[in-house]
Amino acid sequence: MFTGLKALGLAGFVLALATPAAAQWLPDQPLTLAGGHVVIGADVTATIGADDPGFYNYTSYEFSALRNFRLGVSAEVRANDYLQVLGEVRLEQGRVFDIYGLFVRVRPWPQRRFDLQAGRVPPTFGAMALTAYGTGNLLIGQPLAYQYLTSIRRDALPASTDDLLRMRGRGWRSNFPLGNTDPGPGLPMVNTSRWDTGVQAHGVIGMFDWSGSVTTGSLSDPRWRDNNQGRQLAGRLVARPHAAWQLGASVSRGAWLNRTLDGVVPNADASRATQVAAGGDAEFSAGPFLIRGEVIRSRWTVPAVNAPVIGGDLIATSTLVEGRYKIAPGLYVALRGDRLDFSEILGSRLRDTWDADTWRVEAGAGYSLTRNLMLKGAWQRNRRDGGRVRHDDLVAAQVVYWF
Amino acid sequence: MVLRALRGGARDLRSRVGLAATPLVGVAPSALLALLLLFPAHPTSGGLSAVALSAKVEAASPTSIASPMLAQATPAGTGIRGRLDIRRLARPVERRPDVSAVGAPGPRDLNDLRRGVVYLESAPRAAFDEREPGRAIMDQRNERFVPHVLAVMLGTLVDFPNSDRTYHNVFSLSRARKFDLGRYAAGRSKAVRMDRPGVVRVFCDIHSHMNAFVLVFSHPFFSVTDVDGRYALPAVPPGTYTVVGWYEGEPRITRTVVVPATGWADADLIVP
Repeated sequence: MFTGLKALGLAGFVLALATPAAAQWLPDQPLTLAGGHVVIGADVTATIGADDPGFYNYTSYEFSALRNFRLGVSAEVRANDYLQVLGEVRLEQGRVFDIYGLFVRVRPWPQRRFDLQAGRVPPTFGAMALTAYGTGNLLIGQPLAYQYLTSIRRDALPASTDDLLRMRGRGWRSNFPLGNTDPGPGLPMVNTSRWDTGVQAHGVIGMFDWSGSVTTGSLSDPRWRDNNQGRQLAGRLVARPHAAWQLGASVSRGAWLNRTLDGVVPNADASRATQVAAGGDAEFSAGPFLIRGEVIRSRWTVPAVNAPVIGGDLIATSTLVEGRYKIAPGLYVALRGDRLDFSEILGSRLRDTWDADTWRVEAGAGYSLTRNLMLKGAWQRNRRDGGRVRHDDLVAAQVVYWF
Repeated sequence: MVLRALRGGARDLRSRVGLAATPLVGVAPSALLALLLLFPAHPTSGGLSAVALSAKVEAASPTSIASPMLAQATPAGTGIRGRLDIRRLARPVERRPDVSAVGAPGPRDLNDLRRGVVYLESAPRAAFDEREPGRAIMDQRNERFVPHVLAVMLGTLVDFPNSDRTYHNVFSLSRARKFDLGRYAAGRSKAVRMDRPGVVRVFCDIHSHMNAFVLVFSHPFFSVTDVDGRYALPAVPPGTYTVVGWYEGEPRITRTVVVPATGWADADLIVP
């Protein structure tokens, strides 16, 4: 377990990077090798936060986003104008190593903004996937839709609505009678802790920016290797009618259940249990202001087994609004309002949402000691309509260094 | 300490100017002054476009005019000239590898890294006389600040027009001048008055590879070199001076130069 003491030590280390002596040898811009053909960047993030007994900030890696030390190293090999190889490796908690992204980018016509990418590619869906971490994140906590663990799992299924209702608000460690019966973490609505594997296309036409992908996993469970012979199709369209505005829409459809459940659930076919999601987002910025919002609606198909059966799809809706205001050079304040709502199902005794509705307000500030060294502080209020811990007020601090 | 002495009015013949760590002194680039004479009190959005003005600044010789006030007290045709020979040019800052991007970014221009700045480490007393603050332009074009190096007199108002279609957000966290102009779109401009001597490193908050330098001098004996490294510090009174060659963030070379009673002193500086 990554303790607060370790995080404090690491934060002190990262802060020491700001001293004039360190500034002499620490890079403040990407490293270039081989005559500019290889470019390497990195970011180091140390986060310390209060204990989170309600597991509001737990990620699919089974640690809190408020207690983490993360080192990310990214590299781009530019063979020529047509071909690049990009990759990013991350060390989370100081011990969990993952190849976050690794793909080939091909630009068939160098003068045209059209690219094909293949490998472990970045998310196509959503506006916040690229702004949930490090300097891209205005605050410290991640948006609920991209991090909060719902109770459903890819390797275990509830036999009835009662099984599902029993797990309301327990997504960090849910268990069901079908499939893997050991307790384990549920799935977030959109998982940006891992990237999916497949091919992706991207193009720019005037004020429109489009992208589409075919990958092996699903929105809530991106994967290296296929686990159900299903494919995820995702698309995103962004319009920039003016520099101040960005409007986006995203869709995704993919199989989300593990095929190990095929032998357990009668008449089950994992490749047909789909997650379908749609989202809309908008961003406005001018002068010191930045405001953005996103709404995502996701529905998961779940096989019906025993009575009372899960009659329809399970639906979750997330709504997020966040803003930043720069109050002085290097200093800003930020605020985010975020909620996650779930559809209702009928149990044997009551009708309730299949997971506990959750909302979060987070307020914070960021201060740049130097251009590439930032301190952040945030306060978070979490509320949940179910589970053992129904409210949790947390504070956290973060140091971010990048080049 | 040096700055305090300067602000306290210690204007002896050999007043030192600049920052303790990176002493900076110099003269307003004459091309800029020439433009200011041509277009006095030029508003940001009026007269010639900001882009055109900036282009003139780049095209003109940066050292054609020195301070008129100083010139009156100086024998005609004296000064220091030569070449700042930069043997190893710096590499342009690359974009950070954006692994999160679903496609490659659009094209951009690279910084012109052939220019340095030459200035006097200490200046004659008359150099510190009060004068009207000037105006200069640092444009943002194709994700690049143009020019990459700007040298101005203390009090100069520097305009930062945005000539790109996308947003930019100019800011600096330098001790000499901290500012953040926020996001603004194409065709708009915001200005910053440089009211402390020193080096102001300028960045864009949106495009991390965009960077530039504004060198703010307390007196007018400085010159941004041309692309071949040539410079001229006109109207320097006869005497012995230390000339400094500055390149990409640091003073790299110094040399003692004697300016004769009449004529120019030649001083070539080599940055290894």
